[in-house]
Amino acid sequence: MIAGTTAFEAAQSAARQVSGGARFVWLFCDVVGEERRLHYVTELGGKLSFSSGVVPPSLQASSIAAAVPAARWYEQEALSRFGVAFNGVADHPPIIKSPELDAEKLRRALGDEVSTVLYGPIRSGVVESACWIIETAGEDFVAVHPSMFFKHRGLEKRFEGTALELAPFVAEHVSGVTPSSHATAFCCAVEAARDIEVPPRARAARTLLIELERVHQHLDSLAKLADDGSLSVGSAQTFAAKERVHRFLADATGHRFGRGSICVGGTRSDVLATLQSAAERSLDLVERETFAVLDGLFGTQSLLDRLIGTGRLTKPIVHAYGGVGPVARGSGILNDVRVTDGWIHAPAAPETDGDAMARARVREAEIRQSFELIRRALDAPDGPHRAERLNARARGSAYARVEAPQGELLYFVRYEDALARVAVRPASFANWPLFVPSLPGNIFTDFSFIEHSFGLVQSETDR
Amino acid sequence: MSNWIARGLRSGILTTKYPHAPDAMSQRYRARPLIVPGATAAGLARGAAVCLSNAIEVDGSRATIDMLRCFQCGECARVAPDAFSFTSDFELALTEENVESARDRLRRRTAALGRSVHVRHVDCGSDGSCEQELQAIFNPFYDVNRLGIFMTASPRHADVLIATGVVTHAMVEPLRRVYEAMPAPKVVIALGSAACSGTIFQTEDVAGPVERFVPVDVKVPGTPPAPLTIVHALWVALGRVAARPAGGSE
Repeated sequence: MIAGTTAFEAAQSAARQVSGGARFVWLFCDVVGEERRLHYVTELGGKLSFSSGVVPPSLQASSIAAAVPAARWYEQEALSRFGVAFNGVADHPPIIKSPELDAEKLRRALGDEVSTVLYGPIRSGVVESACWIIETAGEDFVAVHPSMFFKHRGLEKRFEGTALELAPFVAEHVSGVTPSSHATAFCCAVEAARDIEVPPRARAARTLLIELERVHQHLDSLAKLADDGSLSVGSAQTFAAKERVHRFLADATGHRFGRGSICVGGTRSDVLATLQSAAERSLDLVERETFAVLDGLFGTQSLLDRLIGTGRLTKPIVHAYGGVGPVARGSGILNDVRVTDGWIHAPAAPETDGDAMARARVREAEIRQSFELIRRALDAPDGPHRAERLNARARGSAYARVEAPQGELLYFVRYEDALARVAVRPASFANWPLFVPSLPGNIFTDFSFIEHSFGLVQSETDR
Repeated sequence: MSNWIARGLRSGILTTKYPHAPDAMSQRYRARPLIVPGATAAGLARGAAVCLSNAIEVDGSRATIDMLRCFQCGECARVAPDAFSFTSDFELALTEENVESARDRLRRRTAALGRSVHVRHVDCGSDGSCEQELQAIFNPFYDVNRLGIFMTASPRHADVLIATGVVTHAMVEPLRRVYEAMPAPKVVIALGSAACSGTIFQTEDVAGPVERFVPVDVKVPGTPPAPLTIVHALWVALGRVAARPAGGSE
């Protein structure tokens, strides 16, 4: 990071990295005093590169979305939240929720054959609010435009000024289904900024909580896929396996999603001890029931037939849109933060066909791998569960990332006496743009299969 | 090929008998915060100072906890165990006295329907966990279909509206329109502390709690409420069991 760099130079630098094979990771805006600063993040070979620069007072910035499609959503977010205007970005359909959907413009653009359907924000079943503008000619998808951010709750702003001891609770609100991933990523960023050494026992406890999240969220995705395939018994049994994970977490942490366990410097209490005693009581049962439903689901051809070839994404498309997590690994992009962190040697990616089947297979393999990691983490050494020194410092900033169930999750933290800016790059935000190219060529009834094979969380996307 | 029927039979009956018979959650589960008898003013102040949603109000050596603001993080009991503790009592639903007549009407109507009711859900701005816990009441451990409770896609077929999350600006109109589309009599459940009170969310960033936009009959604290808490809340909404009146607990 060079002081005095302009936003234009930072953007060009990120675009150069991407043309050299790097993955576009993130773009966000930070306001320091009167200055708006754009931060670009790219990744190559597991290593993150950062470039940042100041936006001129005209608030005009240059869009790189034509060469780097993955940048588009971030540019639109910087426009709607911070007023930074990227030249050219207005030509794209809006993704941020506006009170009036511009149906007239869409209708003009379409012929008589194609009709436009609004799907959302309230849909059938128990789902989070989001809307798709679907252009269809009969039962084929012509194009799908997401309209999201109905659930924007100002959570990045909510961090500002919040005491460090309580701020992980805000992170847990960004995604209530993966609270430990978010709290860990937030705390790791603070710990990086302050050189806080987290004890091994606390690191093991965090690993355990995140892997348990991976198990219940992957089971959620698979149970919904089974339900989409009208496999009622298989779906019920998969939801039952998920329920056992939540009961295990309630028994170990006092919360069915494991909330309230993680703090800056480690864990709030010796949660590893309570995880160990809960594991003695019921981990074998949780594992056995989980593996039994996995065997069942992947032995049911009528379900697999609906997944094979559905919602296919090629590797170049996933790279262009900056996809992460099981969605990327299903298409052969084997990024996994846990490899960089040394938790695992290689990501579990048994199939790379890029279809719903590949993504389901990745989830299956990851669940099995998670239980190995859980067993290993349970063996953590005795010792403190929290760093003794929290190294209070007046100012600083840092990034951290965690492999959440949906994929790579990043936090940026800047503080000046108090938290001044917290920015979140959720895996779901990185993956939703890929939903758009996965649909054309499929038919209406494939929608829920593709949606559930992505397994994304709306609340972390909208924040 | 998988034999799901044999597998289902082998796993036996998982389903709770609740609400017809008592059930319990793990003793460790943090459902309801309580003030420990004999708590000192210092202990109460220490706990109140770490409450991110300002659920605890302290006046010297007396304190009240607003359950509707509590998001069950457990921090008060951790830093001041002499003043605060949690019980695993999951029956958290609260009602206002004045909805008694509305619930009577629904009770009579649902009796005529052979005790079956249909529920429409609206996510007003949740963190995603309320949806998964609401989905969980249909899993084999709870199976609320056995109680005649079903989800419906259309608000025009719905008797009960379950609203989750603090209401965001963009969800105000969709929420109102669903409420208006439902036939009377109807019951509204605000599911989760965020839906009931807005907990940690700042007033300028969100529109507010559910009751600001549609009349709420049953408030269900929890972040998220556990499936058993949701089953209890539905039972309260249908007038089959009495709830505690809304208000702070001493």
